[in-house]
Amino acid sequence: MPRISEAEVQPFKFGLTPVFLSNDLELLGYLRGYLTSKLGGPVELVSRRTYQEITALLVSGQIHSAWICGYPYVQFKADLDLVATPVWHGKPLYQSYLVTAAGRPVNDWTGLKGDVHAFSDPDSNSGFLVTRTLLAKNKLLPEQFFSRSFFTYGHRNVVRAVASGLAQSGSVDGYVYEVMRQTEPDLIKQTRIVQQSEWLGFPPVASPKSLSGDPRVKALRLALVSMKNDPEGKKVLDLLRLDGFLATDPSLFDTIAAEVEIVRQFG
Amino acid sequence: MSLISRFRSIPVTYRVPVIVALLMVMISAVISERVLDRLSRTQEGFLNGLAETYLDGLSSAVLPSVLRGDVWEVFDALDRSSSSYEALSPIETVVTGSDGRILAATDPARMATFSQLPANYLNRYGPGIVTIDESALTGFAKRDLIYQGQPVGTIHATFDVSRLFAERHEIFLTLLVTNGVLAVLFSLGGFLIVRQMISPMRILENHMRSAAHGTAEPISLEQIPEGDSEVAGLFRGYNTLVHAERERANLAMQLAEEEKLSSLGRLASGMAHEINNPLGGLFNALDTLKTHGETPGVRDTSISLIERGLAGIRDVVEAALATYRPERSHRPLSADDLDDVRLLLKPELHRKRQRLDWEIVWNGSGELPVRGGPVRQAVLNLLLNASAVTAEGGILSLKAEDSRNQLVIEIGDQGPGFPADFAGILVDSDPGPAVRAGGGLGLWMVRRLVDDLRGRVVIATKKDGGTAVTLLIPFQREDRKANAA
Repeated sequence: MPRISEAEVQPFKFGLTPVFLSNDLELLGYLRGYLTSKLGGPVELVSRRTYQEITALLVSGQIHSAWICGYPYVQFKADLDLVATPVWHGKPLYQSYLVTAAGRPVNDWTGLKGDVHAFSDPDSNSGFLVTRTLLAKNKLLPEQFFSRSFFTYGHRNVVRAVASGLAQSGSVDGYVYEVMRQTEPDLIKQTRIVQQSEWLGFPPVASPKSLSGDPRVKALRLALVSMKNDPEGKKVLDLLRLDGFLATDPSLFDTIAAEVEIVRQFG
Repeated sequence: MSLISRFRSIPVTYRVPVIVALLMVMISAVISERVLDRLSRTQEGFLNGLAETYLDGLSSAVLPSVLRGDVWEVFDALDRSSSSYEALSPIETVVTGSDGRILAATDPARMATFSQLPANYLNRYGPGIVTIDESALTGFAKRDLIYQGQPVGTIHATFDVSRLFAERHEIFLTLLVTNGVLAVLFSLGGFLIVRQMISPMRILENHMRSAAHGTAEPISLEQIPEGDSEVAGLFRGYNTLVHAERERANLAMQLAEEEKLSSLGRLASGMAHEINNPLGGLFNALDTLKTHGETPGVRDTSISLIERGLAGIRDVVEAALATYRPERSHRPLSADDLDDVRLLLKPELHRKRQRLDWEIVWNGSGELPVRGGPVRQAVLNLLLNASAVTAEGGILSLKAEDSRNQLVIEIGDQGPGFPADFAGILVDSDPGPAVRAGGGLGLWMVRRLVDDLRGRVVIATKKDGGTAVTLLIPFQREDRKANAA
């Protein structure tokens, strides 16, 4: 009883990173409403500008759960439990895209040499790690291959930077890019995909291991996995253009862990 | 003719509207200049205020990002601000770091990130907040980004100011059209008002013009405006003048007629005397014939005496007829006319025992192209006047000479000289005042006759005392020659 009472007083804090289309207030409203109804108590959505801030809050137990990227999950695998992984096009997988301005005659990633390059976030798998791994595999560092690079702290911002000409190329989450193709086609038309990565584990929802016994975390997993069967949850999924959530094994992110290792070894 | 003189020669009906139009154009030009100047300053103040606000807001937004060299955040701030300051119409904004390189620009495709800012961006600013390039219809402003007293970057902004110039142009056109319409309306109004105002003056002008040509007619009562006391007063004054002039002219004609009759009376009495003298002889001759008519010598002598006496009477009567019968006054002047005058004057000379020195120099043919009647009448009047002012037993003189195109007749007397008023009747350009001063009706008649002949009179004092009155009467000798030919 005391724990229930504490839960009633303290809202369940759910963190969101820019991997998620966090600028859609309608979506945030639906998500909060759905989780509140399923968890049986108030839910607070916590947004921060960078992955690092959310990861720090999550690992330190200041928030109860968060939708993070596979790269931070791999980095803090020892401290985090997987809650659920989104399913997109039937699989809990996604890709990283290298994009450039539409009409630029570039065939593969080597054509991007000397560009001003826009990354999403230094803790983003698709928006940084994948490209850095690609370069590492070719014995290159980003600062050697690109003339300049900067972080936009948002996959949508990477697309805007490339479309406007602020950057000549960018590393972007393939899922976000494809959703934007439907929501902001004019913006996407100003860019084109140069190269797509292999399929990688979709950014998962994780919680601190310290809260593994927390019934609200279990309730969250249930709520996410059953979201596709709930009318309110379906609204959330439709806005996210996702099929649903799936309880996955941590091994789904082994490919990302391998990338981290390549980068670590190259330095 | 100078421009001002030409302008003054334009009728006042048109001159006033032209002046009104010119004044309106001048006033419009001054007002337009002031309005546009004020508008320009207001617009510049407005633009400066907007630019300051824009740069203030942008500085706050980008300063932390510039400090970190965060390209995306600077670009994002510029991107968001471009839609927030539509009134300012920013065309391009560029943010540079402390090294002068571009961190971000609203159009990265034109101003690439991390490239060096073009030199012309640094030289394009004037002393004001916003520098305007009128040819390109753009405005420039910059703001240094200062953090803890250190410059960390600069914002360079370019604005579209075409709307300001379009507004100025629109207001200029509005002023031009409005003032143009007003100028036309005021000019038209001025034209109508002035025409209305001076229409009574035109009536007066027409009457005075007619009067100058000799037919002074009063303004009819219908033409005298009832409401306009000034114009009505003027018209009534003119009518009073016309009536007074008519009365004066009538009176003068009446007096002249009386004077003529008076002269005639004097001549008639002289003529009666002249006729009476031979009549005694004639009757004596008749008695002699009745008594001694059978005697041939006596009869012939008596008949001869009667014949000479009647011839003398006939000459006197003919001279009087020639002088006073108007139908004979238009004949050309001949020496006989002057002889007639001498004949007519003879009784008066005889009565006063005066002598007339007679000197006629007739160069041309017998007749001169001058109307004989008026000359004869004028000379007779002057001689009568000379006789009147000369003492009994005194000497009068008449000299007449015709030159190429002028007849000169000088009448001399031994009188005390002409009083100034009397002389004025003959020689002043306007004899009116001298005539009104009194007397001299005979002289006034002479003046009228001389004026009719387009001649003039000269009065001089003779060296040996007395006065010489000279008539100078022009004529066209050519006509005479032509007629003669």
